[in-house]
This record gives sequence, C-alpha cells and structure tokens, in this order.
Amino acid sequence: MVKVYSFESCPWCTKVKNYLKARGVEFEVRDIELSEEAAKECLKISGDLTVPVTTIDGVNYVLGFDKRKIDELLAAQ
Amino acid sequence: MKEHVHKDVVIIGAGMAGLTAALYCGRMNLDTLVLENAIIGGQIANAVAIENYPGFVSVNGRDLIATLQTQAENFGAVVDEFDEIERVTLKSTPKIIETQEKIYAADVVIIASGMNRRKLPLPEEKKFAGRGVHYCELCDGHAYDGKIIAVIGGGNAAVDAANFLTKYAKHLYLIHRSEFRADEISQQRLRANDKVTIMLQTEIKALRGDKRLESIEILDKISGVTKTLAVDGIFVNIGVEPNTQLFKDELTLSASGRIVAGEDCRTEIAGVFAAGDVREKEIRQLTTAASDGTTAALLAEKYLSKLNQ
Repeated sequence: MVKVYSFESCPWCTKVKNYLKARGVEFEVRDIELSEEAAKECLKISGDLTVPVTTIDGVNYVLGFDKRKIDELLAAQ
Repeated sequence: MKEHVHKDVVIIGAGMAGLTAALYCGRMNLDTLVLENAIIGGQIANAVAIENYPGFVSVNGRDLIATLQTQAENFGAVVDEFDEIERVTLKSTPKIIETQEKIYAADVVIIASGMNRRKLPLPEEKKFAGRGVHYCELCDGHAYDGKIIAVIGGGNAAVDAANFLTKYAKHLYLIHRSEFRADEISQQRLRANDKVTIMLQTEIKALRGDKRLESIEILDKISGVTKTLAVDGIFVNIGVEPNTQLFKDELTLSASGRIVAGEDCRTEIAGVFAAGDVREKEIRQLTTAASDGTTAALLAEKYLSKLNQ
C-alpha cells in the first residue's frame, strides 16, 4: 500500500495526493500533524519531518512532488 | 508519440490571474485548458490570511484559490497540474505548447505564470535545500516545533513568514541585509514577540552542516564582524523572480525579466496575452492579477471572434 506522509494544509502534499488520485492509485494518508505515530514513522523513513514523503516499503521514498520519481516508485512495486 | 490536441485557449499558470482568465473563458464557452507546472494558486497558495481581497475580512489563500478553481471548472475549464510544459512556440499559427505528454495547438495563449521565490544565492544552497533550507513556511514550518529558525529577508512576505513561524520556533532570528521593507503593522507584530531577534544590516554568507543545516555564517555589515549562528533551519524570503524562462526567446522582457504588455495585457504577438505578476507593471496585487485575468480573457474572446470570421 502506498503511504503519503503529509498534513492537511501543505500544498505540495495536496499535489501528490491529487496525482495519485488522478492515476487511480490507492494510498493511505499518514498525517504527521494529527498522529505522533505517523510523525515518528516519517522521521524513521527520511530522517526528517519535511513532507510530502511518498513510500511503499518504508525504505525507498520520494520527498516532495516529483512525477518521474513517483512513477518509478509505483512501477517498482 | 505525443497526442495532438486543439484548444481555443491555453492558459499557462493557475494562480489568481490564470484561474480568473479561465473562469471568464469558461463562461464564454471557450475550450480552455490551464496548465500549471507547480502549485495551483501560485504565490497565494501559501498565504495564511489574506486581508486585502475585497469581499473577505480574512481568507486563506488555499480556500480562495480552491473556490476560484471550482468556479472555473464549473464553466468547463480544465486544469492540469501534472503535465509539465517543456517548450512553447508562440509566433506560429496556431501557437504550440508541448508538454511531457501532449502537444497542444492553441489559438490563444494567456501567460499567467507568475513569480517564483528567489533561491538563496549561496553555493551550499542545493546541498541543504529541504534539509534545513526552506522556501515554504506553511509546508515545512511544522518540522521546527521547539527549534531555532532564521527567516532571511525583510519584505512583507518575510515578516509575515516570521510571524507565522513564531508559533513553532523556540527562537526566531529575522536576518535582512538592509532595512525593513515590510508594512509597519507586520513589523510591530514581530517586534512585540519576545521569541524574536531582529538582525538588520546583516548578510548571510555561508551555510554549514554535515547532512543537514546546523549553522549559518552571518556578516554584521555595520561592524564588519562575521559570526556563526546555530540554527536548525532557515526560511528564505528574499524576493521573487518572474517565471518567464519559457518565453524569453519569443517575447520582449523588461529589465526585471517580466513580459512587456500593456494594460490590455496584449503582448507583441497577436493572440498572446500576459496577465498578473508576470506582466511588467507598476502595481502587483491580488486584485490587479484578477483584473488582468479578466481583461486578457475578454480580449482573447474578441481576438478569437475575429480569427474565426
């Protein structure tokens, strides 16, 4: 399952979520403002709380909106 | 092989000017596409509270732009924020806009590509971008809860960013190379906050850190003394630059890099309009961006009527 570490008012997070929706990709939103657990997971994955972070396996991730890298991440699953 | 698509109007940029143009074009039944390479809303997508847009006591940029997008889409305009523009040819008939996935032939092009935040002109900027160097306080401010932040810049955007970031910061430095250019009311708000240290006539000279930013070197321009300041992150607000890279070979740009066009938004190429902050003009406000979008759309329709006669 694709996970997007993000928070509600972050414009680039919205762009990533909209892109996944447009591609018909199911994903789980992990809100780092609402969930301390999500924030901890995000820190573990990228070492930072800068979002959006998109990941499938919790190891490989894309920071920010980068269509090509997100496509590669999705293709590798 | 890229798909070829014809459009009456292609609008480049989905900020206030572009979406207003889209709303008007949509209402005139023109087949309208808006392309956005970055964030829908442009500069105001990050605005926490807009208090100078008529009809609203206070509105955040995200809500205002989402409403405008819905208005434009309700009248048939299509907004594509994922298919990045690679090149444009404006002097041909029709005009050609090539994206990553398609080749659009457009009878009219309205350029409303706005402005981008200026990057910090230091060689280490790339190394620390997203790792302590940030350009969007709304996106990344939360990561600095209880930490030490510096805001670089002294205009309205910088001071507003600093005021916003005080809700996270343990301590905040505002660093600016000359005197304040921000509105008095924003300055007063910042000065009244005891978490804030204001350092004017101070220039950032270097970024230091291993994997992420740990400190900055600053020069006090009055004393000539350079010192190191430990910070967890900096937010850069040193102005904006027009987003005109795609058009520089075909349109005349002003000394500041904006597109030369009159108050009627017409450029030197028939059927090509420039609207909003990307157009060279004296006043650049949200209201004037909406005005430009309106003007460009209405005159685009006139142009199309003649073209189709």
